[in-house]
Amino acid sequence: MNMTRRCLSFLTLGVVAALLAACAAPPVATGPGARKKTIAVVTPYMANETTKYVIDQFKKEAEAKGWQVTVTDTAADFNLLVSRIKDAVTQKVDAIVLGMGDPAQMTQGLEAASQANIPVFGIDAGNAPGVLVNVTSDNASLGKLSAETLAKAINEQGNVIMFTHDPHPGVRARAAAAAETFAAYPNIKVIEKKHIEVPGPVDNARKITEDLLTAYPESGSIAGIWAGWDEPALGAVQAALAAGRTEIKVMGIDGTDFAKAEIAKKGPFIASVAQDFDAMAAKTAELIEAYFNGKKPESDSVLIPGRLITADNAQ
Amino acid sequence: MEKYPVSEEKPLRGIVSSPAIRLNRPRNLLWARKWGTLIGFVALVVLFSLLRPDVFPSVRNWSNIIEQVATLAIVAVMVTIVMVTGDFDLSVGALASLAGVVAADLMANQGVPVALAILVALLVGMAGGAINGLLVAYGGLSAFVATLATMTAYGGAALLYTNGATIFSGIPESFRWLGQGNVAGIPASVIVMLIVVFLAWLLMEQTVFGRRLYAIGGNTEASYLVGISVQRLRLMAFTLSGLGAALSGVILTSRLFSAHPQAGNPFMLNAAAAVFLGATAFREGEPHVLGTVLGVLIMGVLGNGLNILGVNSYIQSILTGVIIVLAVLISSLSRRR
Repeated sequence: MNMTRRCLSFLTLGVVAALLAACAAPPVATGPGARKKTIAVVTPYMANETTKYVIDQFKKEAEAKGWQVTVTDTAADFNLLVSRIKDAVTQKVDAIVLGMGDPAQMTQGLEAASQANIPVFGIDAGNAPGVLVNVTSDNASLGKLSAETLAKAINEQGNVIMFTHDPHPGVRARAAAAAETFAAYPNIKVIEKKHIEVPGPVDNARKITEDLLTAYPESGSIAGIWAGWDEPALGAVQAALAAGRTEIKVMGIDGTDFAKAEIAKKGPFIASVAQDFDAMAAKTAELIEAYFNGKKPESDSVLIPGRLITADNAQ
Repeated sequence: MEKYPVSEEKPLRGIVSSPAIRLNRPRNLLWARKWGTLIGFVALVVLFSLLRPDVFPSVRNWSNIIEQVATLAIVAVMVTIVMVTGDFDLSVGALASLAGVVAADLMANQGVPVALAILVALLVGMAGGAINGLLVAYGGLSAFVATLATMTAYGGAALLYTNGATIFSGIPESFRWLGQGNVAGIPASVIVMLIVVFLAWLLMEQTVFGRRLYAIGGNTEASYLVGISVQRLRLMAFTLSGLGAALSGVILTSRLFSAHPQAGNPFMLNAAAAVFLGATAFREGEPHVLGTVLGVLIMGVLGNGLNILGVNSYIQSILTGVIIVLAVLISSLSRRR
């Protein structure tokens, strides 16, 4: 504080900035041989379990590569987040990593970073000017993988029911990709596409499934049920079990804990697709390392395929 | 409910409708008013049966429908008690969710015996209902405002209690019976529903308590003047409504064998719709228990039948709305001279 005040009173603005950076940042430029690379991870969502998980994973990967990592959380405050990005720029870190959060709301910070030639990497954040590359798993690929898994499970033939919720853009993208995937199998027919009510998706899906099981009473008349997320899949599974229609294969997305518990029972709930946050963290670290070695990413987004959760790895 | 058209006869409503007015109306309209909703229900059943004769009228499908509506019926019948007095309870869905997660958490995570956990959940529901009643009867808030506020608060409490997550592991197997078991082929939830319906009917139609609630709904001022303890009765009505919501939430949790912090929320609008539909049946636009049961059945048959016919989900919602409007419209038109 004292030092800062002295700085302020005696020096011009440009020098202030440099000195402040020197005050705040650990002495990165010293040390023998190669300078230790520093990475600033900024996130608005550390309180979210998934965000915390992926950032912790990234930190592990980065530290294994010998980098110094600082993590800053702004508790959903995007204004503060912009300040933190600017702080990182001032500290002349070697890379900035966005741990989720929409970069469109960080424009000022990203501009500062690109002016200072500091690369910004996004983990499941999004694309915006100033973000070099975003590593994410898109909903379309999750939808495609889940549809392919279900198609294989029903031997690529039979009637399929889809449970969707089109007002949600993510679920809509999953369903669109799944429908496209099913359409590529000549012997698979999507006979019903049902909108699931939210809230109360489990009970709603259960009732609709009960009705559909009545409408298609013959065993084998419904081969599979594809759900856009795990809750309706659970409702469908419960209805199938209650009606004794255990030949029906049900597929979810998200890999939630309750879905895993049901999948582990080896009943109608055959699998779910989870976003692969381990792979996202590893890929981000890999891209940063390549960048440090002079190799820029080939495109502005890298899609990590979903991870299939079956009875074998559900527990 | 509608307090405007014939308010001078309201204190009598619920017991008999005025014979003088009955004489002044054309016979066919009277007939339509009394039986129109029931006929509409039968027409729906016949229509669905003709369109899918192999499936819709089957015993299995009907047992499906009855089981599907059991939880809604319990909420709706108990909400009817509040709506009879001219009040409204928007918080039942959130209370059902809250009771459901409380029961599940107690038995799954706190080691509380199943019966005790259920009891606590029911008490939570009654307490929530009693808060509504206090706000409305003693605090002077409109029921709409009071229960809108508590709906938000109870909904938040359910989310906070669970951290937004689903409770699914560690629920004792003995809890499964309530929502999934059966006695001699009749689902336990349906038996509970029948008991609730019978008790509610008994309370509202055969006791002084019920008569007084109808009197409050007819004319609150007059009820107060003739010495009915209006505030206490309204408080009790809301408490019963909360109890019904909690019971439904607990059964839903058992049925899904997992507790979702918003699982009961859809009950609110569906229960209100069932009560409004039921109010058009048999009597003059006033909520009553058996009417509500008919309303619940109409909603159940409609959803089931349209699903079986493969009707688009969005169109289903529109049709449900149209049918509610039509039923109330026919009822109100036939009441005019």
